[in-house]
Amino acid sequence: MSAADRNLGRTRGTTPRVADLASTPETPRTPLGRSTSSIYGSPGGYRTEDEYIVLEIGARFVRGGLPGESTPRCTLSFGPDEQRRAADYRQWDPGHNRERTSRKRGQEWGQDHELYRLDLGRVDLGLVEDKFERAMREAFNKYFVLDTKPRRIMLSLPPKLPHPLMSTLLDVLFGSFQAPSVTLLSAPVLATVAAGLRSALVVDIGWAETLITAVCEYREVHEQRSIRATKLLSEHMAKLLNAALDDEPGVGDSKTDISFEEADEVLTRVGWCKSKPRSNRRTMYFVARTSPILEEFEDAVESPEPTITIPFPRHTPPTELTIPFASLAKPAESALFAPDTALNEFDDNELPLHHLIYRALLSLPMDVRRLCMSRIVITGGGSSLPGLKTRLLAELEALVSQKGWDPVRNYGSASARHEIIMNQKRENLELRNQEGEDKVSESLDPGAPLPPGLQNPEEDPIDAKLSHLALKNVPPTSLVGGVIRGVDTLGPWAGASLVAHHRIKGIVEIEREKYLQHGLQGATKEKEISVVQQRQSMGPGIGMGRGAGDRASWTLGVWA
Amino acid sequence: MAQPFPYTYYACDCFDSNTPLASKRASQLLEEDERDLDPHNPRSNYALYPLEQLLYCEDCQQIRCPRCVAEETINWYCPSCLFEVPSSVVKSDGNRCTRNCFNCPVCTSPMTTNSLDTSGENGAPFILACPYCKWSTVEIGIEMEKSTGISAQLARIANGGRPIPTQKERDKERERKKEMESRRREKDAISPTQDSPTTDGGRDAGNAPSHDDLFSNLSAFYKSQIDTQSPSNPFSQSDINFSSPSAYSRIMSMYSSNSRKHKRNKPAAPRDAGSVLEGFSIHDPSTDAQAIERIKREGWSITLEPSQRLAQTNPNIRFSDDLRPLATLLCTKRSKRCRSCRHILSKPESKITSTRYKIKLLALNHIPRISMRALPPQFAQPASTSNTPFNYNALKSGIPTQFLLHLSNPLFDPIRVTLATPSLTPGRVQSRVTILCPQFEVGANTDVWDDALASSLSPIKHSAHDSGQIEAGKIWDRGRNWTSVVVEVVPGFLNDNNNATGGDDGDDTLNYDEDVLEIPIFVRLEFEADVNVEERGLGDSRGSKGEREKREEAFWTVVGVGRIAEMAL
Repeated sequence: MSAADRNLGRTRGTTPRVADLASTPETPRTPLGRSTSSIYGSPGGYRTEDEYIVLEIGARFVRGGLPGESTPRCTLSFGPDEQRRAADYRQWDPGHNRERTSRKRGQEWGQDHELYRLDLGRVDLGLVEDKFERAMREAFNKYFVLDTKPRRIMLSLPPKLPHPLMSTLLDVLFGSFQAPSVTLLSAPVLATVAAGLRSALVVDIGWAETLITAVCEYREVHEQRSIRATKLLSEHMAKLLNAALDDEPGVGDSKTDISFEEADEVLTRVGWCKSKPRSNRRTMYFVARTSPILEEFEDAVESPEPTITIPFPRHTPPTELTIPFASLAKPAESALFAPDTALNEFDDNELPLHHLIYRALLSLPMDVRRLCMSRIVITGGGSSLPGLKTRLLAELEALVSQKGWDPVRNYGSASARHEIIMNQKRENLELRNQEGEDKVSESLDPGAPLPPGLQNPEEDPIDAKLSHLALKNVPPTSLVGGVIRGVDTLGPWAGASLVAHHRIKGIVEIEREKYLQHGLQGATKEKEISVVQQRQSMGPGIGMGRGAGDRASWTLGVWA
Repeated sequence: MAQPFPYTYYACDCFDSNTPLASKRASQLLEEDERDLDPHNPRSNYALYPLEQLLYCEDCQQIRCPRCVAEETINWYCPSCLFEVPSSVVKSDGNRCTRNCFNCPVCTSPMTTNSLDTSGENGAPFILACPYCKWSTVEIGIEMEKSTGISAQLARIANGGRPIPTQKERDKERERKKEMESRRREKDAISPTQDSPTTDGGRDAGNAPSHDDLFSNLSAFYKSQIDTQSPSNPFSQSDINFSSPSAYSRIMSMYSSNSRKHKRNKPAAPRDAGSVLEGFSIHDPSTDAQAIERIKREGWSITLEPSQRLAQTNPNIRFSDDLRPLATLLCTKRSKRCRSCRHILSKPESKITSTRYKIKLLALNHIPRISMRALPPQFAQPASTSNTPFNYNALKSGIPTQFLLHLSNPLFDPIRVTLATPSLTPGRVQSRVTILCPQFEVGANTDVWDDALASSLSPIKHSAHDSGQIEAGKIWDRGRNWTSVVVEVVPGFLNDNNNATGGDDGDDTLNYDEDVLEIPIFVRLEFEADVNVEERGLGDSRGSKGEREKREEAFWTVVGVGRIAEMAL
């Protein structure tokens, strides 16, 4: 926790690059002072203690709470029931739960449960503002119940949120809720913080898309996206349930079209994901699926087949559906892993998750990859599906063990040659190992000294001692690298809560006055602004402490 | 549709002179391009309010909806036990009642404290039980020793009866474990062997650390990290700050020789958290497997509804035995100010049990109330003599139906009203609307006695025999401070195939509530009022000799007339 931390959110402009690691004004390791740590420190400068509210905004939920608390005080959704007119109490009508609402004309699956979508061409920003405003009003009046003192806002946003959306959200926070300042923090970095890590590969299985962000020393260095996320998952679940309900005997012959609420509830309650790949071979990448795969390594089939009974009170007539438990894992299979499609048939934006993670890792430099691959943090709404994390890690492990870290996916006509080279290398290695074993006999032969590449490196006792010393204070788990390992996180909201609790400044801090004057245009174009206090001459104004207001210019950092 | 038909909503355009940036978009809905208000636009749900929920700012002369007021909390109280909670307690203990008030986590009704004592003298143990759905804390294995101070007791018992350590105990325990660990590591350091297997994540076998545990461990870890990184170096560039007392300590440490060696210690490089004690936890496949196994075994009923889960203080739970009783959320009494001019619009009395207001500027007292009802059948259809009440839920497509639009004036001055409505209602189902008399006057809200005394007002007599002559341009009826006019509506056709073919997607299904006939009506008032605003609401203005000024007021309303019935073809 140091300079790098305080600069949460500093990184790349539009696309994260590893090069950004070097281009920052301070090297990440430089410890940066907190100005009062001494017991003699005057609290004077901190009288105007900034109090924060911590918000996390996602496509379907807004979480809000106060810093230092482990869970948000409220998680607000944006369903149709939240969008009713004042004095419209039909949702409390006992009959309300029994009727199924159909999807609106021209709306996509689950669209009326979204706060925003990234395709701005089809977003009514005014509606986003209305929805967000109402949700925030509820949060403030019902859950925060604060005094009138204005609170700064620590806002966790997904990276690369479009500017019109950002300014809509900020308009509400500055305009309706009079926040003196808003600090933007990027969700993957916060997920890293909440996992207790400094570097991680954050897999955020969100609503509309899965976002994979490689975070190194609290900086985002790479990202990959795929539309295989919760939305697709619940759509697949709806298809499965529709088919199952249609097959049900005795139910009317009209086609079932279950509502989003029902599919979502089934998904979150009893949806699951097989923890083990069905068969490693099936999910592997083949240039062409040459031979039909005959064997299926299913899990041991239980008899009788376990089933789950799901009530559908909104169905006409209300019914209960008994469905094999195994089939509830199918949507996750088809939506997130798509094992039945060859890899070359996927578009760039719909890669299966394990391939996406693999590619993200592959495109990282070796050092960063070593850190990230053993710090895989899976978060987001979709990650709560039981079994999914385990499955993702297992798939990834299988991929890596099969393909290694060779960026070339297909050697084409040269594949035979490549095979030979690989074999040779392997043989050489084995040979060398054997040589190493009977080195004694060889070294007896003075005429043929070993080539330097084959000699064991000289052991430097001082190096060994230093590294041993360095290790002394560090638990061995935090040094692990180079193996696939998943780390649990408490989620971006908890990360933001920690950051706000420890009074760490963010790079992107927007002051109310400046925002109201210029809007988002007021941000400087530079992505990096040093938050390290510049060394100043001793003037009368020096004693002012480091309030948030003394920053002359502000930046949008990641979001610029 | 919200209330029973017919109903009236008033649109607030949330005028705000202070923030040109933010509010302009809110008013776009109404003002841009002079468009007609479309009640089926999803945004209109946020602008329409019943008249009873609106306030009125006399300085801005604007309607104020819940959106365009700023609220200030006066005091906090628990709605269940009606005890006032001081603001300091709210700050330290959060937004929930800290006494005995709990809501059922399953059905949200208030829970009661029951005794499980069978001897009949209501002794320990006690449980919380829900009188509505019969859920009780027995199901999560919690029994309490006392019948009071429930929340304090609950805070110390985890589900299943295990004790929850307090924050202090947690810290102490963490220190103890850390010490043990570091001692062990030192032992390892002396004899550097292979990694001992126990250090792998440091996970205690059996019970995985809870969310709260991890969070507090993580928080402590970051705190220690920040402390080790803080500048102990006197020449640290970051706090050259001689006006602060910390400077003295720094100077002192510069000159005191004994501390120098200590201070020069290079801080350890920042690092990842390394063990559960530092809030680090490696993903454990067995928890996944356990969850799947439980769902498979116990099925749908053991899992939680999304709303139940989100209501919990820790929403990251999945099964019904993780539920905790919910301490009642505190309520607040709030005063409301106009966001534009900061005048107080409503201020309740601060006493919790009082429902009275010190200040309350209601739109009811400033904006005419508009209501719609069907023309009594003996006038509308002279032939029919049936007395069946008009069915607002089944308007007949294509058949002209007359309604009475009734406007009553709360002001003490007579008003001149101009009504306007699009001739075809916006939306998918287009109905033809004609206001037969769009301009008329409404009398002042004078003494009620005037009504009784002044027989000269000559209410228009309507009898059954002249009913065929609903004349355009004439009002229907008039009273002391009200006037009613006739509106003729031809409800549209629900499945209008001629229109639908021109539509984009061609599917004929109507959206939810699209069959509701709602008429947007633009209302414009003109009246003369005293210049002195303050007195107008208080007393009878006739006596004051102040200057009169001309005032105008304009707003959109939406009248929900009824639901168009499906055509029986």
